Amino acid sequence: MRTVLRILAATAALAAMAMPAAAQNYPERPIKMIVPWAAGGDTDNIFRPFAPLLQKHIGQPIVIANVTGASGTVGAREAKGSPPDGYTLYAVHDYIHLVHYAGVTDVKYSDFEPICLLSATPSVLTASPKTPWKTWAELAEDAKKRPGQITVGATLGSTSHIFPALIEKAAGVKFKYVSYEGLAPRMNAILGGHVDLTDSNLTQKGKVDAGQLKFLAIAAEKRDPEAPDVPTLKELGMDIVYAVLRGLLVPKGTPAAVRAKLDEACGKAAKEAEFADAMKKQGTRVSYLNAAEYGPFLDKLDRESKVIMTELGLAKQ
Amino acid sequence: MFELLGHGLLTVLQWNYLVPLFAGTLIGVVGGALPGVTITMTIIVILPFTYGLDPLQGLAAMTGVYVGGSAGGLVTACLLGIPGTPSAIATTFDGFPMARGGAPGRAIWLGVWSSFFGGLIGGLFLILVTGPLAAIALQFGPWEYFSLFVLAMAMVAGLAESSFIKGLLSTAIGLLITVIGTDPIGSVPRFTFGSEFISGGFPFLPVLIGIFAFAQIMSDIEKPAVPKTPEAVLATQPSLGVSLGVSHFKVIGEILGRPFLLLWSTVVGILIGVLPAIGGSAANMLAYDQAKKFSRHPERFGTGVPEGIIASESSNNANVGGSLVTIMAFGIPGDAVTAVMLGAMTIHGIQSGPLFVSQQPALAYGIYAAYILAHLLMVLILAAGALFMLQITRVRLAVLAPVVLVLCVIGAYALNNTMQSVYVLLIFGVFGYALVKGGFPLAPLILGLILGDQIEINLIRAIMTDDNPLLFFTRPISGALLFCAALSVALAVWQHMRHRARTAREEAPDF
Repeated sequence: MRTVLRILAATAALAAMAMPAAAQNYPERPIKMIVPWAAGGDTDNIFRPFAPLLQKHIGQPIVIANVTGASGTVGAREAKGSPPDGYTLYAVHDYIHLVHYAGVTDVKYSDFEPICLLSATPSVLTASPKTPWKTWAELAEDAKKRPGQITVGATLGSTSHIFPALIEKAAGVKFKYVSYEGLAPRMNAILGGHVDLTDSNLTQKGKVDAGQLKFLAIAAEKRDPEAPDVPTLKELGMDIVYAVLRGLLVPKGTPAAVRAKLDEACGKAAKEAEFADAMKKQGTRVSYLNAAEYGPFLDKLDRESKVIMTELGLAKQ
Repeated sequence: MFELLGHGLLTVLQWNYLVPLFAGTLIGVVGGALPGVTITMTIIVILPFTYGLDPLQGLAAMTGVYVGGSAGGLVTACLLGIPGTPSAIATTFDGFPMARGGAPGRAIWLGVWSSFFGGLIGGLFLILVTGPLAAIALQFGPWEYFSLFVLAMAMVAGLAESSFIKGLLSTAIGLLITVIGTDPIGSVPRFTFGSEFISGGFPFLPVLIGIFAFAQIMSDIEKPAVPKTPEAVLATQPSLGVSLGVSHFKVIGEILGRPFLLLWSTVVGILIGVLPAIGGSAANMLAYDQAKKFSRHPERFGTGVPEGIIASESSNNANVGGSLVTIMAFGIPGDAVTAVMLGAMTIHGIQSGPLFVSQQPALAYGIYAAYILAHLLMVLILAAGALFMLQITRVRLAVLAPVVLVLCVIGAYALNNTMQSVYVLLIFGVFGYALVKGGFPLAPLILGLILGDQIEINLIRAIMTDDNPLLFFTRPISGALLFCAALSVALAVWQHMRHRARTAREEAPDF
């Protein structure tokens, strides 16, 4: 019996010694990156080209796991429950703040530690080809005449819901929301004229060129060189700048040494020219913040999200 | 157009395209044959490799995976009675009994050649009528989808083998399972009892594998009487000419001798493929149901008739052609697999969209060519592999059963890299076995599972868009679909009653 105890104690002691060593030798095995949306979607398309670059700088394979469902909260929950050892990364965007205040999930951004902000994808207000409006002004006029009748396809409680809701508020109009989760179903619905408006981004430019979609306005500070004819919302008199911001988090409790290594590797990967090229093709710009800057940025974003959700009446008590 | 296609074929026949296409098809066949490894997973696995290739090489490899995967599932379906992919569910209904009956070679080759012909006819549609097909797809709003799924549910009544009531009950159970978990619109947890475990609902694949694999293996273990090996059948009935090898002429003759069946199943496959949302998993079951309805001897379906295999396998490969239609016409993915292909295109900076075919003719026709060639390669690969695969029928159950179970568990785990899927597999394995024991058909349950979420989502979307419920009947396509649904139920009831009356007459002299 005593021998057994002694062995146990020795093992425990060894394990205790091994802990910091584990952080030091990090990473020793492949790292899983949880993307809470489907493969081939916008978020996936941004993290997929990033993964091999991060792999190059961290020295271990990055394996993307698309854990989808329930507005991205299934993946969030799984990331939260993963061991905080740096072997699980969580690819996140603004939805984490929104779904929390919408009461969809109890998972919060503060259940995680920040690693880096990677990209910003400006939202574009997009109309179906079957709608009569050519410009925002025509839409606004029509919307005032028919409150609550113009339909918007959106993932409820997420960015594609917030963006049109901000426009509603700024322009004093009222839309009707129809749930279409994800960009691909929204595109199907809008091409067929089953909804009138939706939030999209510059990746859909091909359809606009073919006359099958209409870009009415972009929610960026200035016009995009890729689509110089699309006015900004600011030009149209609405103070709305809205972009989907994507970054990486790790579960709370991940050792500081491990986070530092991830932070450094991400910084190098995000500065690769290849990444900037890949992002341009996604209608996105690289918008890098390191771990130290990303933390306060997320705090601010969370406060703003709470205000927006409450103001728009989307927050649950 | 044919000039462009010819050019595409010549391009893809070059080594630097043929090699990725072949590799993709091979990986697809293997992935498709492994239960639990889906085409989507396989294509995601090869996605990173395509970054380093030129766009057509990458897309050729992916097209290969898609075509190979849609065919590969038939191997496991015929030999083990477990669908290798959801696209091969209906193949098990007749493929497995046929293989068990001593003709595994015939079952497999019927499947392979049906996939081949179905795929090629699907390809013709893809190339010739992309525009009109895509236009039909756009007409489908939430009302039409809802009515289409109701029609599909009504059809399952025909899939219920013995009891109409048990078939409907089974469908209802399938629908009920999809209600569990977070609701798809408002994200409200339902029937989760506060448990994290089921908050995301029950993922479809582990449920499918659990129900099919476990229930199948258990009933095999109960009856350890070894299935007839081809040799044993040959020894007793040499005149049948059944063996591992088969006459390809005969098999092809069997398929082409049923041109209406082949064409109709293909059309079902294409139409389901063109409409985003349900994909190959539903196409094969609906085609099977149609084959049964139009058959002069529907009661023999499920005992190993060639029609069942032909319907299922030709429709699932035609479905691939169908789902490529929307990507070619609009740059919108029709299912998870084409979503990944589209993702690969955008990563290469190719603007997908309605102008894709006119702006990138070389690439578009390269994909068409890859699609056609992949079917030839698929036949070659399966021909080379068939001899090895058929050895499975000789392996003793005591060895085979544990291996298959382990493969199923690995497949379920690999799906999301979570243990949750494995537990779901176990729960539904036991549940499925209980259902089989109770005489409940499993196919309606699976279709209920596939369609449940979609029915709910589209119903809610329709009401959110316009709260007038009459639109379901007054919109022409939607109304026609609902009418067909009513007709389908009536036909199934009539068939059941006729069958019952006939068996009653046959049994009469016994009294």
